[in-house]
Amino acid sequence: MDFIYAQKLEEALNALRTQAGRAKVLAGGTDLMIQIARGEKQPQALIFIGQLKDDLAAVSLSQDGHLNIGALVTHRQICADRQVQASYPALATASASVGGWQTQSVGTLAGNICNASPAADTIPPLLVHEAVVTIQSAARGLRDVSLEYFITGRRQIAIENDEMVVGITLAPLPADTADAYLKVGRRKAMEVAIAGLAMRLTMAGPEIVGELRVATCATGPVSRRAREVEALFSGQKLTDELVTQGASLLGRMIQPIDDTRASAQYRKLVIPKLFRGAVLECLAKLGIAISGLEKS
Amino acid sequence: MPEVIGRSVPRADGPGKVTGQTLYTADIEHKGMLHAAILRSPTPAGKIVRLNADKARQMPGVKAIVTAADAPDVRAGWALFDTPMFARDEVLFEGEPIAAVAATTLAQSRAAVAAIELEIQEIPPVGDIDMALAEGARLIHPKLAQYGSVPGIVFNREGNVACKYAHEEPGVDDAFARADRIIEDTYDFGRQYQGYLEPKGTVVQYRDGRYTVQSGHQYVFNLRDRLAQFLQIKPSDVRVQGMAIGGGFGGKLDFGPEPYAAVLAKATGKPVKLIFSREEDLIAATVREGARVRIRSALDKDGNIIGREFFTDHDNGAYSGELILMAGLALMFCRGVYRTGPIRTQFRLIYTNTSPTGAYRGVSGVPMISAIECHMDHIARELGVDPRAYRLAHTLNNNEKLPNGQMLHDAAILREAYAEIEKIAPWEEMKRTKKPLEGVAIGSTVWLTNPLPASATVKLNEDGSAHVLSGTCDIGTGAMAQGVVGIVAETLGLDPANVHIVQPDTDVAAYDGGSQGSRTTRAVGRAAEHAAMDVRQKILDAAAPLMQTEAARLTLSGGKIHDIEDPGKAIGLTDILMMGAFASGPIVGTGKHAEQPIPFDPGCAVGLAFPTLPTPTYHVHMAKVAVCPMTGNVEVKRYIVAQEVGKALNPQGISGQIQGGVAQGIGYALHEGLRVRDGRYMERSLEAYRLPLAVDIPEVEAIILEHPADEGPFGAKGTAEPPIVLAPAVIHNAIYDAIGVPLNSIPLTPERILEALERRKSA
Repeated sequence: MDFIYAQKLEEALNALRTQAGRAKVLAGGTDLMIQIARGEKQPQALIFIGQLKDDLAAVSLSQDGHLNIGALVTHRQICADRQVQASYPALATASASVGGWQTQSVGTLAGNICNASPAADTIPPLLVHEAVVTIQSAARGLRDVSLEYFITGRRQIAIENDEMVVGITLAPLPADTADAYLKVGRRKAMEVAIAGLAMRLTMAGPEIVGELRVATCATGPVSRRAREVEALFSGQKLTDELVTQGASLLGRMIQPIDDTRASAQYRKLVIPKLFRGAVLECLAKLGIAISGLEKS
Repeated sequence: MPEVIGRSVPRADGPGKVTGQTLYTADIEHKGMLHAAILRSPTPAGKIVRLNADKARQMPGVKAIVTAADAPDVRAGWALFDTPMFARDEVLFEGEPIAAVAATTLAQSRAAVAAIELEIQEIPPVGDIDMALAEGARLIHPKLAQYGSVPGIVFNREGNVACKYAHEEPGVDDAFARADRIIEDTYDFGRQYQGYLEPKGTVVQYRDGRYTVQSGHQYVFNLRDRLAQFLQIKPSDVRVQGMAIGGGFGGKLDFGPEPYAAVLAKATGKPVKLIFSREEDLIAATVREGARVRIRSALDKDGNIIGREFFTDHDNGAYSGELILMAGLALMFCRGVYRTGPIRTQFRLIYTNTSPTGAYRGVSGVPMISAIECHMDHIARELGVDPRAYRLAHTLNNNEKLPNGQMLHDAAILREAYAEIEKIAPWEEMKRTKKPLEGVAIGSTVWLTNPLPASATVKLNEDGSAHVLSGTCDIGTGAMAQGVVGIVAETLGLDPANVHIVQPDTDVAAYDGGSQGSRTTRAVGRAAEHAAMDVRQKILDAAAPLMQTEAARLTLSGGKIHDIEDPGKAIGLTDILMMGAFASGPIVGTGKHAEQPIPFDPGCAVGLAFPTLPTPTYHVHMAKVAVCPMTGNVEVKRYIVAQEVGKALNPQGISGQIQGGVAQGIGYALHEGLRVRDGRYMERSLEAYRLPLAVDIPEVEAIILEHPADEGPFGAKGTAEPPIVLAPAVIHNAIYDAIGVPLNSIPLTPERILEALERRKSA
């Protein structure tokens, strides 16, 4: 196996073009190296981009309020970033729950989405914030893809052989918006999610929902927004009955599997409870109390 | 005045372990050493139709491939000889060794294992104890009756039952006939993997007709004896050198990779290293057995237990190890520490087509005591009385007996333990301050100590330091590194930094029962204390002529020999050793320990390996938990232990044992599912088998109670196992208190708890 130690972004992109599908891009390696060791992936070359910190290692706010996260930004950077904590706390929560401290210290947010595990923690919060993935190639330059279209299947992403992800962008939040990420694991850390749920709630009035977005992980082959559930809430008064209705529709929509971590039945049981929990957490963050909203 | 005993002296083996300097089995390199790998059965039950290693033998680097054909055709075992080294014609569990390969590199031996042609005609496995006990069940060992066993112990064996023991006190049926009410429970317990840091491994050399085995092992003499059985040689033709051990918890008491490496070492004439991969270690580990305990208690109108049935079934797996010696525990634990009427007891150890089970901290007692303590809460709730008050009303007092007739002279210590916990966590306040879905529970038990004998030799060095030779290792508890070091240092007035523990070696040390069953500090400690006293006397005898006085007038302290009647007169220890040794010879002392017989009721104990066990200790645990209504996860908010230890030789060491044992108990209760389906483990790696993390375990509040044992060493009793034995029941009962529904099975997974909450909601 060749090891290509890229010193500049152009070198990495050129190497990708030259290798024509034989290479994998290596950043933190927390997924890729395990997959190679298990024989699940057999690239002929690794292109190491860890030195491209000047180009790819920053979290920065653009003038129009977009948050740009470089492809080398690690989970620990995400957890510690004040802008992420202030605007997209669900993403900080999700990054803080990826693997253990060591994994978070070298594993990158971009790597997490490129691995496209059905149980990836950061994908649901990025989906509810409609994250945009920026992809670059030597031949065609930059292009943007919505994360929703970027992940095409279980461990499948919409990327060409000569392309790599260079960043992830989050749009500024509307007013009266809060988010939440709730994860189910057997332990308090170092868990692959048994199930996870991210929500973004924008209120239009004291009890009126402007927009509710919800996405789950480890509940099917691909993390997706649950748009039918979201549609129930647009412009509606937030009542206990409506939350119950949304939660139970979400429970019916997901298609979890039985695996060693949990049964499909448990996941079907827990996801509606996470939905209600996320609504309550978002309301609490917004400082809104709605009478009659039961805790469980 | 004690200078070392009772102080938290840092452990001598600590810095080496935390800095990575300690040499473990995996670190051993010998010239020409080969690396081995094992071909294991991919299926839980079947006939070996074809086994052909011809192609594999031709592969690069391969030096030898051995199978059943290359090993003596014998069955070996700890007590019942039912275990072949390699599967010969049939496989009885997934992971059973079929062949072993030695090659120049590990990759080569693994490649050769993969290239061995193996065809097995699968048979539906007898996958669990229900299937094994079913009418007409296939017999896993059709020749069970013909297997040999150690003399003196009776194993009532029949069908798929490797060992059945039953005992009945008079009046059980009468008690049930006149009972005001009968309360019955069945509890199911899962398997638990020891989860030590260091997977099993060995390096074996064959030279001059003898085997030298280097292994991190808890019980080197047992390993020696097992190898002698498998290889059909004299035990003295095997030398086992104990290496530093990366944890064992009962999982490293029997043979592991050693027989396979031994056969390969003889076949190749080279040293052979065999280290299990983590998955292999988990699948082949002698884990804590699954068990089912059924208890029926007959109560009179005042709520007194006037009779009981206690039936406990344990999953042996495909072959027998230590568990077959544990039948007597049913008799010791079926009463708990509470007054009951007469009891009918039955213990069965049942063969299944699964990986053989074995000891894990609190061997076989954990399911028994857990069942008793869960049942006690159930009774209290049925009666509408407080579970703590109910326990205290029925707790044994001094000089009451266990069902084996063994007297508990000091059971009132239990009441002291309750009282000590009450001081820091008043029960009524704990109950009053609970929030919704929080629960509290308290439980109590007795625990006993492994009775095997010990010996020790203390060798005084010319610089005034000492080496302690014994047949056991420090398994990580500090029993040797802190306990025995402290005992010798105290007895000889030495700085503990100048007392060194020698790793066990069966060629060098006399027989020892190994690091197990909470025995090391007590048994090896007593032997070492006697050896040190022997050394002390020899020092004084050597000093007397130099000081021109009688040895009786001399005393040893602070590295000096003093004349009691002339305090100004003293001579340094090193001076004695330099000058005196010419006259007295080098100073070496020996000591031993053997248990004195404990009076018991001989009528109940016919054929039992251990009808009694020594040194009862007393334990009360309390827990507070919070159940998450969203996920069914449980957070242990508070955990308190009051533990009687005899004398705390090293309080820090004991606190560490309590914290660690409770962590493993909470892990068993909540996190560690090792499920068997169709004879196979579902959890096959540490990614799937969820050991708890530091963040999942609260800091345990430990109250150490001291009631020194008369016989020493310095009053110490066994301490290492008990912290695990109450935790599963106390956690179960706290969850029962939180959700109002008993779950009656361990582990208490979020799935089971959430389902129970749903059932409660719909009820």
